[in-house]
Amino acid sequence: MKVNLVNEGEQLVAQLSGRLDTAAAVEIAPDFQTLAEQASKHIILDCSQLEYISSSGLRLFLSLRKESAAKGGKLQVRAINADIRQVFMMTGFISLFDII
Amino acid sequence: MKQSSRQTGANRGGLWIVLVAAAALEAISCIMYFTSRNAIRHEAEQRARTELRKAELEIDVHAIEMETAAKALALLAERHIDQPDSIFSATRLAVSTLTANTSMAVAFIPDYFPQRGKYFEACSSRFSEDSIYTRQIGSKDHDYTQMEWWQNGFVHDSCWWCEPYLDDSGSQTIVVSCSYPVRDRQGKVVAVVCIDMSLGELKNLSDYLQVYPNSYYSIRSSSGVEIVPVPDTVAGKKYNIFQEEVDATGWHMEIIIPEEELFRDLNHIGRIVGILMIIGLAMLILIVWYAGRSNKRLIESTARNRSIENELNIARKIQMAMLPTRFPPFPDYPNLSAYGEVIPAKEVGGDLFDFYIRENKLFFCIADVSGKGVPASLVMAMTRSLFHSFTSYLDSPAQIVTQMNNALSGEGNDENMFVTLFLGVLDLASGDLKYCNAGHNAPVPLTVIPNLPLGVMAGYEFQEQEAKLEIGETLFLYTDGLNEAENERHEQFGEQRMLEQLAISRERSTQQIIEDMRQAVKTFVGEAEQSDDLTMFAIRLLRPSHTSEDHFSLVMRNDIQQIPTLAEWIEMIGMPEELNMPINLALEEAVSNVMLYAYPGKSGQVLVECVKSDRLVFTITDSGIPFDPTQQADPDVTQSAEERPIGGLGIFLVRQIMDDIRYERKDNKNILTLTKQL
Repeated sequence: MKVNLVNEGEQLVAQLSGRLDTAAAVEIAPDFQTLAEQASKHIILDCSQLEYISSSGLRLFLSLRKESAAKGGKLQVRAINADIRQVFMMTGFISLFDII
Repeated sequence: MKQSSRQTGANRGGLWIVLVAAAALEAISCIMYFTSRNAIRHEAEQRARTELRKAELEIDVHAIEMETAAKALALLAERHIDQPDSIFSATRLAVSTLTANTSMAVAFIPDYFPQRGKYFEACSSRFSEDSIYTRQIGSKDHDYTQMEWWQNGFVHDSCWWCEPYLDDSGSQTIVVSCSYPVRDRQGKVVAVVCIDMSLGELKNLSDYLQVYPNSYYSIRSSSGVEIVPVPDTVAGKKYNIFQEEVDATGWHMEIIIPEEELFRDLNHIGRIVGILMIIGLAMLILIVWYAGRSNKRLIESTARNRSIENELNIARKIQMAMLPTRFPPFPDYPNLSAYGEVIPAKEVGGDLFDFYIRENKLFFCIADVSGKGVPASLVMAMTRSLFHSFTSYLDSPAQIVTQMNNALSGEGNDENMFVTLFLGVLDLASGDLKYCNAGHNAPVPLTVIPNLPLGVMAGYEFQEQEAKLEIGETLFLYTDGLNEAENERHEQFGEQRMLEQLAISRERSTQQIIEDMRQAVKTFVGEAEQSDDLTMFAIRLLRPSHTSEDHFSLVMRNDIQQIPTLAEWIEMIGMPEELNMPINLALEEAVSNVMLYAYPGKSGQVLVECVKSDRLVFTITDSGIPFDPTQQADPDVTQSAEERPIGGLGIFLVRQIMDDIRYERKDNKNILTLTKQL
């Protein structure tokens, strides 16, 4: 599991790749801490390389979502695959996030 | 009721036959008797007439002879009318011309020869062949002029026959006489010639008139004097009388034939025929009675046979009821396809197939009891009972068969009946087949060790064999009623045809395989009668229920870093693509839950197992503190991001993905069972 943070102009893009399981969630927790510190910005979570997500990953997403809302930032989720969309559907995350 | 009326009917029929036969015989006999009687009577009459004519002729011959002699003597006397001595010579001469013992005399009117006295009668008599005695017999004591023959001879101008009379002077026999007048030269009657003849001379008459040994005859003169009298014995009997008049003498002849004499032979034959008739009728009665009796016996034995047949039908029904009839047999084991049937021969036989499941193992057998009929069906029932008894606690086919053999070879088997049997134990999870063949036809596609049949030798050690039944492979069991089924030309269906048919039906269901085979045999056999029970039984595993490949397990430590191995493990199970992620997710949530909470502050293990059949059953077992995740409340997924708690999604996802989730605490272990239907 990898996270690449890229600045695209005003936007901060986090490129997630690999499987975001329980173990990976622990592994990338610091990256999401970094993102949370810049939550007032326009953050895009690029999921085009993300294969899988479990509840630990969802927790990271939700924490960032709350932080962004609190700091008046903007959070968008980009290019989720079918599996992840299915999990988003089950958990109601599909309506919590701005998915592009 | 039916039987007795039938029997009476048979007896009545027999009685009619006897009566009609008797009437016919009686009628034929009567017609023959009366026809014969008439023929005999007619014949007797003809014969009597013939004999009477012969007798008449005989009498006529004698009469004419006597008349001729009388006339000749009269002529001689007329020539020598004046010479008394010549008259003697004339009588002597006349007698000598006759062969019969006769007496001839010339009696003159009184005082014709004065010198010779008042009465003159010259007489010659023959007493024997050589001696003729001549003398003058007229005298006062023998006054011939007073006699009938003289007076009538004197007045008649022709021969006059007097009535027969007893000659008391000479022969002491019945005598007849004939008189003829003698004239002088002037034509005046001066003497009478008399010729006597004893009726003894007519002895030939009896040759003619005695027509039957016991018949009679009588001769009467015209005035009724009996020349030959009717015997006294004639009185009071029934006679046939035939009569004839003799022209010359006016005599009357009768032939008297007693009825019993006339019909003696006929009556004799009649008696014989009567006896034969009675014997014939008796034989007919005997035959009719015997036929009636055997008919009755036939009816009785038919009824008895019907009753036996009925009982055999009941036996047949009971026997058929012992065979499995419910297919598919085990709804709880959809991966097991089995079908079998017995096509019974006309007679009760001893074919058997049976099966049941114990501890996920199919125990099954097929058997053929030697012989037919009730004994075979009893042994069949016994074999079935033994199969159930020993398979209830023994797992090894060889042990089961050995026990069954010992039971069947015991003292009960006095009839020396034996049973060929194939017994198999199929592990429904693995397809491992253990089997023991006791002299039965080898099921297709197995090879078998030729063990003895059951019931031959107690204590025999049966050999066990092993094979593996692959998924989709069919085990086909049969009895010799199949391969030995014969057509009208006595050709057998044979194993080759059977194998060819099995190859054709290979892709079809077990029931269709057997139906195809039944049809093939029926086509082959044609009109020939089925002589033996035909049993077929097919077993196939569709998809192994609990095979080792589908039993997966994974042991993990309570370390989150091990979570990625779970994904690899799930990959290995192999499941539909679209389920991979959700199953993975659900398991990860459940397992990570255990890892994080079951062993607080220490290390422990998590066992993950999967049993895959038509569904996926995962069990997650740990030895940690009691923890029931199913008690956890679901999060409200409709809440806004601000309201949503961070945690609590894991078990929610498990519940969302899986069809069933159960928790139990057992042996100090937490066992979470997750089920997903495929």
